[in-house]
Amino acid sequence: MPTFGYVLVALAQVLLVAAAAPLASGFSRTLRAKMHTRHGPGLLQDYRDLFKLLRRQDVRPPASGFVFRLMPIVMPATLLVIAAGLPILTRATPIAAVGDLITTVYLFALARFFFALSGLDSGSSFAGIGASRELTLGVLVEPAMLLALFVAALLAGSTNLGDIGAAIVEGRTGAIAATLLAMIAFAFTCYVELGKLPYDMAEAEQELQEGPLTEYAGPSLALVKWSLALKQLVVVAWFVGTFLPFGAAVEPTVTGLVIGFLAVAIKVAVIYGLVGIVENAVARARFRLTSRHTWLGVGVASLAFVFYLAGL
Amino acid sequence: MYAIQMLIGAVMIHALAAVTSLVFRRDDGAAIAAAGFGGALAGLLGLLAGLSALGAAPVAVDWGGPFPFAPFTLRLDGLSGLMVAVISGLTVVASIYSLAYVREYAGRGVGAMGFFTNLFVASMLLVVTADDAFWFLVFFEMMSLASYFLVIFDQNEEAVSAGFLYFLVAHAGSVAIMAAFFLMANSAGSFSFAAFRAHHPSEAVASIAFVLALAGFGAKAGMIPLHVWLPRAHPAAPSHASALMSGVMIKIGVFGIVKVGIDLLGGGVAWWGLLVLALGAISSVMGVIYALAEHDIKKLLAYHSVENIGIILLGVGTGMIGLSTGHPVVAALGLTAGLYHLVNHAVFKGLLFLGAGSVIFRMHTKDMEKMGGLGRVMPWTSLSFLIGALAISAIPPLNGFVSEWLTYQGLFVAALDGSFATRLATPIAATLLALTGALAVMCFVKAYGVIFSGAPRSRRAAEATEVPAAMVIGMVALALACIVLGLAAPLVVPVLASASAQILNQPATVFVDGAMLSVGETALSTPMVALLLIGLATLPVLLGSLFAIARRAPRVGEAPWACGYLPDGHMAVSAHSFAQPIRMFFRPLYAIRKTVAAVEGWVDRRFDGFVAAARRSESAFDDTLVAPVTRGVGEIGRRAQIIQGGDFRIYCLYIVAALIALVLVTLR
Repeated sequence: MPTFGYVLVALAQVLLVAAAAPLASGFSRTLRAKMHTRHGPGLLQDYRDLFKLLRRQDVRPPASGFVFRLMPIVMPATLLVIAAGLPILTRATPIAAVGDLITTVYLFALARFFFALSGLDSGSSFAGIGASRELTLGVLVEPAMLLALFVAALLAGSTNLGDIGAAIVEGRTGAIAATLLAMIAFAFTCYVELGKLPYDMAEAEQELQEGPLTEYAGPSLALVKWSLALKQLVVVAWFVGTFLPFGAAVEPTVTGLVIGFLAVAIKVAVIYGLVGIVENAVARARFRLTSRHTWLGVGVASLAFVFYLAGL
Repeated sequence: MYAIQMLIGAVMIHALAAVTSLVFRRDDGAAIAAAGFGGALAGLLGLLAGLSALGAAPVAVDWGGPFPFAPFTLRLDGLSGLMVAVISGLTVVASIYSLAYVREYAGRGVGAMGFFTNLFVASMLLVVTADDAFWFLVFFEMMSLASYFLVIFDQNEEAVSAGFLYFLVAHAGSVAIMAAFFLMANSAGSFSFAAFRAHHPSEAVASIAFVLALAGFGAKAGMIPLHVWLPRAHPAAPSHASALMSGVMIKIGVFGIVKVGIDLLGGGVAWWGLLVLALGAISSVMGVIYALAEHDIKKLLAYHSVENIGIILLGVGTGMIGLSTGHPVVAALGLTAGLYHLVNHAVFKGLLFLGAGSVIFRMHTKDMEKMGGLGRVMPWTSLSFLIGALAISAIPPLNGFVSEWLTYQGLFVAALDGSFATRLATPIAATLLALTGALAVMCFVKAYGVIFSGAPRSRRAAEATEVPAAMVIGMVALALACIVLGLAAPLVVPVLASASAQILNQPATVFVDGAMLSVGETALSTPMVALLLIGLATLPVLLGSLFAIARRAPRVGEAPWACGYLPDGHMAVSAHSFAQPIRMFFRPLYAIRKTVAAVEGWVDRRFDGFVAAARRSESAFDDTLVAPVTRGVGEIGRRAQIIQGGDFRIYCLYIVAALIALVLVTLR
């Protein structure tokens, strides 16, 4: 069972991620505007959007059932559980009981399950196609993601995310090439998970009316938009915590946590910056050809595995 | 304590229920009640027997029996106790469900259905406890035959053809198992399993026996490539029987692989485990790939049985690798994971088949494209089905996730330290398991979404109502079991770990630390996941109700947005279009099935040829053998008629001649 200190760390991580998600997505928007040489809406626009939506009336389609109403609660709750288990501020997972890599992958599946099912439950054709795409992307990406993490776990000797991070920081993984390749493969799969261009397929605004979001309105839409921002932040934090946990607190002391927070904030900002550059430099990939891209992820992950077997 | 006695009692009650159901076949209500209540009662007794055998030392009782070479011995140990508990547990639920469901079949021989269902369960109970190869095969045949009659119950062309395929594969399988047992009996000098355990044959013979048994039991389990019968036979049976077939009968195949590979042959060589692992990985991926392309709800579920058998075999294979290479932790972890998934699959697949049965009960079709929107009119069915769908998709914190987590951990620990082959194979297996998981999520979002969500796609779907209470009770019980087996994992795992330690013949390994499952450095606590999920759900709930007073009350809109066009039911995604991307991206894998279908067609054609040949040979038999004899006898009769001319003087002459002949004989 986790100590009291780590429970507080978990709580801090949950609140931090929950509060910072709209800021992170606002940062993305600002960056996009800057690259378009537009003035842009400002960093805090996403908070304003959420509060505006929260004041509006909730309208749901006649065909919708309880899944449609449940999803805006289940999805953010699941993402917050993941945030509680990730090694974000500390090097160890605050709550080891949910900090396993397999548990994390499958918790994302829980969020995906409800997100996609709500699309079908709305009865809208756009939402249905978005749901189908969301799950297809999951099918194409999840194996590569798991293999990359599995290789890292094998190098670290444990599937606990904190242990993997610690092994990488302390240089205990041995095979450097395999570690690097696993990191690249995982970074690629995380990028696809972000749902940004060129892989903005399930919630493609221009193509599918934002997919499963089509029929949401008012407070439900606010919660779903918040969850999508949350998901992006959690995925980035997952990558940072597993492969780049430099600066994270070894023990949950106040100074350590403050330094850990600053380190994470800088790393996340840099990654959002890089993602912004990629996102705004490419066009949407053709959905029919996505598998050619994702095979790259599988290939790199397999290469990492081969290097691991060879001990390089 | 009295586990064996309770087991015998359960079998007796099943037999009694079977006969009673048959006796009352003219009165549908009485037959349904006899089969249903009898089955439920026997199931409860069997459940008690199995559970009480789980923690205890093995008990074997010898009843002698009519054959001196094969004493009728029953043995309850960790493995058979678990199987008895699983079989009986699902039987209780399926029997309660059948009380209402079987009324659908009123007037079409429900007495016979009750008879075969009870006989089927009784023979399964005896198969898993028989401790002698001869009786094992007898009950195995009985089980196959009883289920064959359930498959062909509808008596339409599809059911009969599926039944024939099933019959063929089941018997090919039992021939292979028989051959394996003969090989083992040859070296042990007896048909009793106790002798098999004591005398292991040489490695070559053992390997041949194991491969034969793997083929035979694999065919029963629906393991790819021996699965062709499964997606055709299971959907043809009545739904509560499908639940039993998919939930427990195919597990007899896994049971057989564990029994022969680990219990009787002691783990053998490392490549056995690798072979099982490979077959498991292939079965899991291909099973779910094919399931995705289905729009017949029961076929979809049947293909998922292939997938889950694959996942169970991944655990069992890991266990065998651990046992043969001397890694007790890997062995214990793998086998525990396999057994856990076996139990879980029985529960959620039983639930899903019962759910499908409820839907079919109202819709009278298995085609998902004609359903839709049932969630609002069948709330209990849809909620239970959703829990089953989440569990089978291995979503935390439900039971399917726990066993898959253990399977991953088994693969991981095996990969950490082992031969090159193991280190190569296990991460690949884990990756394929991840692919399976993602595909399963897609498949069950599709199944639930197309059946229960959105707008109704047919008039019947719009007019459907919730099913009778008995059916709801059955489904809700299994849905609760899914939740309990997930959250109570820290209590369930020690029981299964001790059972697998008994099977592996090694001291039990502890995988539990307080309320957590803990393997090596890592841990999982499903109660914690559930607690966090519920706790953190308050945050979005609070956020959502922030301006609840100020804003206008929620309302239901008119229709989904269709870019200004008039929305139409045909615009919504269908089961077909939803899975279309997967059919596109995984086209090569579907191509394999076409080849397999060609083989199946070949079997069908051969069958027709066989029947035609039989007809021809029957007449040939008549012409050459029977006809000459009948003609000859007729001829003799006609000739003999001459002596019976009708003239009484000639008859007197006969008498005189006879007297003279007799006098001559005595005088001599």
